[in-house]
Order: sequence, then structure tokens, then C-alpha cells
Amino acid sequence: MSSRLDFSLYHHVVRVLLVEDDTTIAEFVARGLREAGFAVDHEADGEAGLAAAATSSYDVAIVDLMLPKRDGLSLIEELRRRGVATPVLILSARRSVDDRVRGLQAGGDDYLTKPFAFAELLARVQALVRRATRAPEPTTLTVEDLVLDLLSRRVARGAKGIDLRPREFTLLEYLLRNVGRVVSKTMILSHVWEYNFDPQTNIVDVLVSRLREKIDRPFDKKLLHTVRGVGYVLRS
Amino acid sequence: MSSGRKPLFFGLRLALWYATLFVSGSIAIVFLTYYLTATSLAQRDQQIIKGKLGDYAAAYQRGGVRVLAATVRAEQQAAPERLFVRVVDRGVESVVLSDPEGWDPSKLEIASARLPDGTLVQVGKSTEAREDLLARFRATLGVVTLLVVAIALSGGWLATQSANAPIRRLALAVQRIIRTGRTDARVPVEGTGDALDELTALFNTMLDKIEGLVAAMRGALDNVSHDLRTPLTRLRGTAELALAAPPDLDRYREALADCVDESDRVLVMLNTLMDISEAESGTMQLQRERVVLADVVRRAVELYRDVADAKGVSLTVEAPDDVVVTADRTRLEQVAANLIDNAVKYTPADGRVDVKVRRAPAAAVLQVRDTGTGIPPDELPRIFDRLFRGDTSRAERGLGLGLSLVKAVVEAHGGTVEVSSEPGRGSVFTVSLPLG
Repeated sequence: MSSRLDFSLYHHVVRVLLVEDDTTIAEFVARGLREAGFAVDHEADGEAGLAAAATSSYDVAIVDLMLPKRDGLSLIEELRRRGVATPVLILSARRSVDDRVRGLQAGGDDYLTKPFAFAELLARVQALVRRATRAPEPTTLTVEDLVLDLLSRRVARGAKGIDLRPREFTLLEYLLRNVGRVVSKTMILSHVWEYNFDPQTNIVDVLVSRLREKIDRPFDKKLLHTVRGVGYVLRS
Repeated sequence: MSSGRKPLFFGLRLALWYATLFVSGSIAIVFLTYYLTATSLAQRDQQIIKGKLGDYAAAYQRGGVRVLAATVRAEQQAAPERLFVRVVDRGVESVVLSDPEGWDPSKLEIASARLPDGTLVQVGKSTEAREDLLARFRATLGVVTLLVVAIALSGGWLATQSANAPIRRLALAVQRIIRTGRTDARVPVEGTGDALDELTALFNTMLDKIEGLVAAMRGALDNVSHDLRTPLTRLRGTAELALAAPPDLDRYREALADCVDESDRVLVMLNTLMDISEAESGTMQLQRERVVLADVVRRAVELYRDVADAKGVSLTVEAPDDVVVTADRTRLEQVAANLIDNAVKYTPADGRVDVKVRRAPAAAVLQVRDTGTGIPPDELPRIFDRLFRGDTSRAERGLGLGLSLVKAVVEAHGGTVEVSSEPGRGSVFTVSLPLG
């Protein structure tokens, strides 16, 4: 299963508006999102961004806060004032709690601090799309012959049942929900332990290698891969 | 400069107010004095002529006009100031007995008495002398009033000027500081111990604070830019080396992964350095709330449970629920996690890390004890320094910022961190936080 297939559920290509003035960042975000199956329009200033967001319908808008002509906060406020409900992911170089709160109060739906891992940006955009389209919640998650049942909380590979500890289960569920997409260590840390700072010891490595022991080691085909420098991915 | 003129106007206004009050008070006193003098002079004249009138009425009754005329003549010829005396017989015939020469009849103070036989006796006294006296008095008072106004204005001006001088000096000093941006300048305290001195002292205290903050921020900026040079050099070096080598896909992949790792380290370092600087300079925004210390500690222990298990280190926690502090929960989690991280990292297999929370008489205490490698005595005083990594710790992965952050955050909460260690046997880190 590739990430593209996820979106066949929505019966249309997901359209993303990216408002970012830094060309390098805009380029890598746009390219990454297109590779993940999105249609991306890019605007480089606040006024153009507002015009685009207000006139055509997007599934998600990604808005940088520091923009020429009109800043991101004012763009979002104006958009909400005009009754445009497109979910907005804010990008910002400021990391204080106050800035985050201000962004969300202005009408933003999520907030990502620069520098960010692309994997994290992708995950957040997908979460916003999912929330907006209310895709039906699956009860089982699978990749190849690995099956995780969310209701009975059982995990099996082929016919063989696998016994997981709660944290291993949470990690596997997270990886399965992101099949084919790389998740970073920071994402795992904040999802599995709900810790939002980076401890210096590699806690995530330990958990991942224990999960790998159980779901991969006894089998020929390996599913859980390490992408050096980026994170981990579950794929066939 | 418009702001420079305000104290001047203020002084002038104060002087005018002062002079107006003083002058109107003085004028009131002058008027009262004049009025009292004038009325008492008139009263004295009235008494004199009324007394004479009584005498003359009695003389008339004793022997008619003849006796009266004799009496008047005898008295008035000798008197230094002659009176006007006349008798009007039943309103028909008037006899003037004394009519001093040159007297203006319109300037007479007159008293009359009607006798039982219907005769009217009148005595008059010239008011000219009195008017003269009062005129001289008025002139004197006028001069005095002018003097008073002059004194009041100049005195008021001088008084407000001297009261204003320190305010103006304060304003000028503040202006100079604003203009030059030199926060190390101070306004001299007058030493009079008044409200103005207090204001000056407060202003200086404010400058102290601003100066401290600016210095701390400047220091933080210097440190951060210095500390980031090393990882940025590694980052650049890795990329440059890969580009300079013959094309090789695997090598490129390796170099790119190293670059991502290194930039992640730069980010963590930058965030941690900013946190430390903010905590040290007092600009860290602490979201204080009531926190059960045990909750924070258990969460941090859970975070390291798997790592400790994998390493064969026994990780125990003993934390009663009744130890409560008012603190930033996330920051405390960071403190606990960093201490446990440190302990687990330097404790070999089959060792122990024991985390304890207890209540001391005046503090909440968090203690992390390990049976690790310990810290040599010569390194002990420096382990909280930024980026300090002891010889024994160099082998381990880390930034050398964890303990600095612990100390900065704990001190920002008004607490203390202590460490004791025995090389080869282990270390004990003790954090004390104010209770409640």
C-alpha cells in the first residue's frame, strides 16, 4: 500500500495551498507534497495567498507567519472573517507558547515550528485533511501479512499471533497509520510518550528495535525499515 | 526640546499660584487693618463730640445760651483743635457759638442732642485730620502691598525653582540616558531622603535591571553563536567532503544522513541553549501550576524504562503523592528526564538508578542516585557548566547541556541542585524546590 492509495478514498485529488516566501522551503515542501499525491499551489506573499485562498477551494492551506505584504496571522484572520473554513497549518520560526496560542486564536488549526522534518509536516497535513473529510475510521490496520485489530487490540503476522506491550502496540499502530511514510523520532516521541522535547538518549531506538524483534525478526520479509537521518517507515 | 520645558512651566505655574495666594492673603490683611483703623478713628471722634455734647447740654440747662456760650468760649479758645458748636432754638433761630476758621462744613463729624425745651445743641468735629492720617496710612499700605507682591513673586519663583531643580536634573539625566542608550549611566541621588530621592533610586534600580537583562541577553547571544560554530563546521565539512569526493551514491546518502543528524543536533542545541539563557536571565516564561512531583517523576521514569531495561540497569522510583510544588510541569519533566538520562547513561549493566521524591521541612526534594562511574572530584564543580563534558563522559552521546539546563530551570523556580559523587561508586543529584 502506498501513500497515494490513501487518498483514493476521498474521490478527488487533495488540493493544498502553500503560502511561503522562502523559495527553497517552498520548493521542498511543494515537491514533497506532490510526491505524496497532493496538488499544490504556491504563493509567495500574503496578499496573493489571501486572494488564492479566498477565491478557489483548497482542502488545506499551509501558511508561513512572516510574509511580505500581509503577514500570516492577518491572512488567516481575514480568511476566517470572510467565512473561509479551509484548515490552516501555520509554519513559524517562533517556538514560544504565546506565539502558538496566538496562531491558533487567529484561526489556525495546527502549528509547526521551523525547522521541521518534512515527515512531520506531511503527517500534520494528512491529519487536517482527514479531520476535514471525516474519512471512516478503519477497525483494522494492515501491511502485507501484518494485521493490527484496533478493537480486540490483537496483532498477528500471517497466522502467528504477536504479543506486544502497550507502548509497542501504540508505536505499531502509529507506524501502520502512516504506512509508506517515514515518521521521525521526534514524532514517535511525542506520539508514544507525549513528550515534546528531545531527550538526549535514544529512547526511540530502543523501542523500535524491540518492536522489530517481535514483528520482523522471526519472519523472512522485513517490514520495519530505518531511514538514516530521517526516521522509521513501515512498508512492504 | 518640548519635554525640557515642562518643568519650567510647572515651576512658573507653581510660583504664580503661590504668589496669588500670598498676595491675596496680604491684601486681605491690609484691608482689614485699614478698615479697623478707619472705624476706630471715627469712633474716637464720635466719643469726643458726644462727651462734649453732654457737657454743653448740661451747661445750657444750667444757664441757657449765656452760660453755654461762656463755657464754649473758655474751652475752645484753649483747645488745640477747635470744635464746631451751635444751638438751634426750637428749630427757628440758630446761634453758632464756635466756628473755627477755614473749616469745611462738609467735612464735619456731627452729633446733636434735643433738650427737653426743644432746643437743639449740635457739636461738630472736623474730619480733616483723620482723613489726612488715613490718606498717609493708605499710601504706606499701598507701598507695603507692592513690596509684598514683589517678594511673593520672587520668593515663589525662587522656592519653586529650588524645588524643581532636582526634578529637572532627574529629567535631564533620563534624557541623556535615552539619547545615548548608555544603560550604565546613573542619576545622582540628592541625599535629602525625600520622595524625589526615592524616585531617583527607583529609576536607578530599574536601570540596573534593564542593564542586567541586556547584558544577559548579549551574553546569551554570544554564547549561542559561539556554541553553534562547532556543529555548523561539522555540517559544512560533511557536505563539502562528500561533494569533493568522486561521485558515489552510497557515500552521498551517508553524507546526507549525517547532515540531517547534525542539523537536528544543531536545533536541539539551539533550543536548549535558548532555554538555559532564558532561565538564567529570568526571561523564561514559566507556566506555573500546582504539580504533584510524583506524577512528573513517574512519567520521566517511564520514558527511560525501556532504555534502562535494554541496558540491564534497574530503575526504581519511590514517590509519595503528597509532595506538591508550584511549577512549570513541562520544565520539571525536562529536569527529571535529564537527571535520569544522565544517571542511566553513566551506569553500567547490573547497576541501579533510584529515583526518590520526599518532603523535607521546607522543600520538595527530588533525588536521583546511581551506581555508575561517578565524577572525579576535580570535575565536580564544573559539571553544571554549559558544554562541559568530563573525560569520562566524552565516550557517551550528548551535548553537554543537560545538567546546565537542569540547574538553570531549577534555579528559575527558586530551587537548588546539589551533587555528590564518588568515582567508581556512583553519584547523587539532589534537587530542592520550594514547597506549595
